[in-house]
Amino acid sequence: MQTLPIPHVDPLPLPGPVWLFTALLLVVFTLHVAAMNSALGGALWTLWNYLRGRHAKHPHSRRLANELAHLLPTFLAFTVTLGVAALLFVQVLFGNFLYTSSILIGALWLAVIPLVMVAYYGFYYFSYTAERGKGIAGCVLAVSVCVLLGIAFIFVNNMTLMLSPGRWLAMYRAHPNGWNLNLGDHSVIPRYLHHINGAVALFSSLLTFLGMRKMKTSAEYGRWLVQRAALVFAACTGLQFLLGMWLLLAIPREIAMVLLRDPLSGAVFGLSLVSVISAMLLILLGSLAEKPGPLVYAGFGMSLVTLFLMVCMRYLLRLAYLKPYANLGALAVRPQIGVIVIFLLLFVGGLATVGYMLWLVARGARARVSAMAPY
Amino acid sequence: MLIALVAVLHVFVSHFAVGGGFFLVVTEGLARRQNDAALLSYCRRHSMFFALLTLVFGAISGVGIWFTIGLVSPEATSTLIHTFVWAWAIEWVFFFVEIAAAIIYAKSWDSLPARDHMIIGWIYFVAAWMSLFVINGILTFMLTPGRWLETQNFWDGMFNPTFLPSLVARTAVSFILAGIFGYITLPSGEERERVARWAAMWMMGGALVLPLSLWWYFSRIPLFSQLYMNGVLTGVRHAVRGGVGFTLLALAIALVCGIWKPRWMRPPVVALLVVCGLGMIGAGEYLREFVRKPWVINQVVYANDVRAAQVQELQQKGVRQTANFLLSEDSEGLAYGKNLFQLQCGSCHAESGYRGMRRRAEGWDAAFAADILQHINVLRGTMPPYAGDERDRKALGLYLASLNSAWKFNVTDANRLEIGEKVFASRCGHCHTVNGNFRPLRGAFEKATPSQVQEVFPALGAISSNMPEFNAPDDQAQALAFYISHEANLPITHTAAPADMPTGSNHSRLLLPVEPRQEVR
Repeated sequence: MQTLPIPHVDPLPLPGPVWLFTALLLVVFTLHVAAMNSALGGALWTLWNYLRGRHAKHPHSRRLANELAHLLPTFLAFTVTLGVAALLFVQVLFGNFLYTSSILIGALWLAVIPLVMVAYYGFYYFSYTAERGKGIAGCVLAVSVCVLLGIAFIFVNNMTLMLSPGRWLAMYRAHPNGWNLNLGDHSVIPRYLHHINGAVALFSSLLTFLGMRKMKTSAEYGRWLVQRAALVFAACTGLQFLLGMWLLLAIPREIAMVLLRDPLSGAVFGLSLVSVISAMLLILLGSLAEKPGPLVYAGFGMSLVTLFLMVCMRYLLRLAYLKPYANLGALAVRPQIGVIVIFLLLFVGGLATVGYMLWLVARGARARVSAMAPY
Repeated sequence: MLIALVAVLHVFVSHFAVGGGFFLVVTEGLARRQNDAALLSYCRRHSMFFALLTLVFGAISGVGIWFTIGLVSPEATSTLIHTFVWAWAIEWVFFFVEIAAAIIYAKSWDSLPARDHMIIGWIYFVAAWMSLFVINGILTFMLTPGRWLETQNFWDGMFNPTFLPSLVARTAVSFILAGIFGYITLPSGEERERVARWAAMWMMGGALVLPLSLWWYFSRIPLFSQLYMNGVLTGVRHAVRGGVGFTLLALAIALVCGIWKPRWMRPPVVALLVVCGLGMIGAGEYLREFVRKPWVINQVVYANDVRAAQVQELQQKGVRQTANFLLSEDSEGLAYGKNLFQLQCGSCHAESGYRGMRRRAEGWDAAFAADILQHINVLRGTMPPYAGDERDRKALGLYLASLNSAWKFNVTDANRLEIGEKVFASRCGHCHTVNGNFRPLRGAFEKATPSQVQEVFPALGAISSNMPEFNAPDDQAQALAFYISHEANLPITHTAAPADMPTGSNHSRLLLPVEPRQEVR
């Protein structure tokens, strides 16, 4: 008998090499988090500016809320779409852990589906009604924001619970019907706050980028946006350091030691510190500069690099947690080479198709602008 | 149950997402060619409705299926993932393109030139249909894995024996749904009649292909699945009748209120059409899932998420030696039995309610329940073999018997037949009828007196290795013998067979051989 109740590894071999699944997981999860940060961070930004913009003295806030309103459903659409891919690849590598923790918190895990629908329809409702600035649009958006915060909390619970097989049996015996949360794990709260604060930070850095684009057509509004977003980005990033330290102290000591002693995670951690500090400095300096362009763009780029490094760090933390129970290197592999090649070709083709459609949209927008120019 | 609910709604909307996309771009092309502003305006309105329904509900409910199958059948899900992760990855690429195209299509009516807008529409449709193409391979694999069982080759699993017929059937269904949903945004004014007729044509087109493709599909499913369709199972019979009925009603509405008198296509009629569409999908999905029982992946994983390859080990070692999650350290008593029920039966049976065991186990005592578990797979074609050892069976039997209070009868001449019928339902009716077509007993007991019938009871366990020992109290045995003798001596009427089972059970009249199944792949 096993000492801990960990389901066996699937008897079928992996249909591709572990490194490929890991790489794909890291890439799609980074994109998923970027989209999620845009949806959640964006919704928080929108709500604040919508409420602020109801006073006539804050026209920029009102404009920003209206502009973001139209983007929120798309952000959420891509959060879900990219999340599906991440869910797919994480199941391949860690299915026996993830299925168990999902079953343990099954009732709440399933609630994610209707909750996402509520948030999503709320975003659509807001996008259609925000400009009128009346009625219950603000309340609907607030509900959507709360729902998204709730979903994030359920996710953090599941993603931490899958790392702690030692907690499973007692939890199952206490509530076999799936009404569990992983609150006994001290890392849940700091990890959750780290994610939420990070979402606001990353979206703020995206806003500095969007602000730069706006400066071309509407200089004052664009600069306001860049400066405002840069301040929030810097503040959230500062807070993120504190939350990160709290998280590091909250994870079990032996796991933190595994992480700190490992040269790879040490390197990733060091690089992420460098990249986040440079992102903060670049964006702050850019927002004050006469010509903010290069600095802001570079800062935005560095914040994306930081995101990717943080995702890698999260993955290494997972490996450290599961080290006693899972050995990815020992999994049997029988690669389906032909299908992998087809997938990679289609992946490139799919990206190209989306790129082509966006190009058509951009071309249409340019044509419209030039057609309107004589008037 | 949960999967069924999520899946039916998802299938309903996602097939619309395929057919509806084609409907939109073809209708848009028509409107542009004919310079029909009203029709174009309809397309625009319909595209907003389309996006709101498919992007949100369609897409999220699809993720819902992911969540649900991981909870209900992790073993089966893991098998599918390990076999088809790249197919899902490919499907995801199409899904990604589909979502991007849907958003752009719905938003860019004013900002894109006609040609470019149409291109986006076509990209949407191709991506949506391709995602159906890929998922269809995985879905059909679960019933007809075909040569994959020997080769474990991806392509053998993907392009399995029912891949093509199912693809054609699903495409046909998507056309019917495109027509049905086309009515939801039906315009007022002059354009009304035109759109009503146009949407009806889509439904007719789908309906022409659907019966042929379904016939093709059902001719290629395994023998044991085909046997479910022979009409003796109440649930299957209702599903077939319901599916055909809903489809015919939808087509009749399309003919009358779509083509003949479009002005009759009012919101209540449209609502009825939508209900018909949902009924059609519900019946189809129910049948597709049902005919796969007792498997969730044919020959690989049983419906209760036990791998076929694990059964022997479980029968030798017992669940307590192999299961990870037991509620307590007790491995004999009632609590353990209940735990086993949750682990092994819970994916298909509730205690009471959905396929509730309280009703099915009425009249059972612990010994009989434990005994009958040994024969559970021959009891009905829908059940997997019991995967546990003798101790497990006893504990589960204890639990099943505890669901009802023990029967105590005061048998009189007046109620003997009635009580005999109840005992028959409890002890015999799960496997036999007297005069029906499910392992009928008439041949054995025709012209036998009640006492002659009763003489056979003590030897039942020895008659066949598939029969449980008979251990009912004497008064019940007498009533049972009286009932069997009475029924077996009734004159046969053709209308009486197939007679309804006295159990009230949905699934007890299945005409299946006791021998191991012959598989058709």
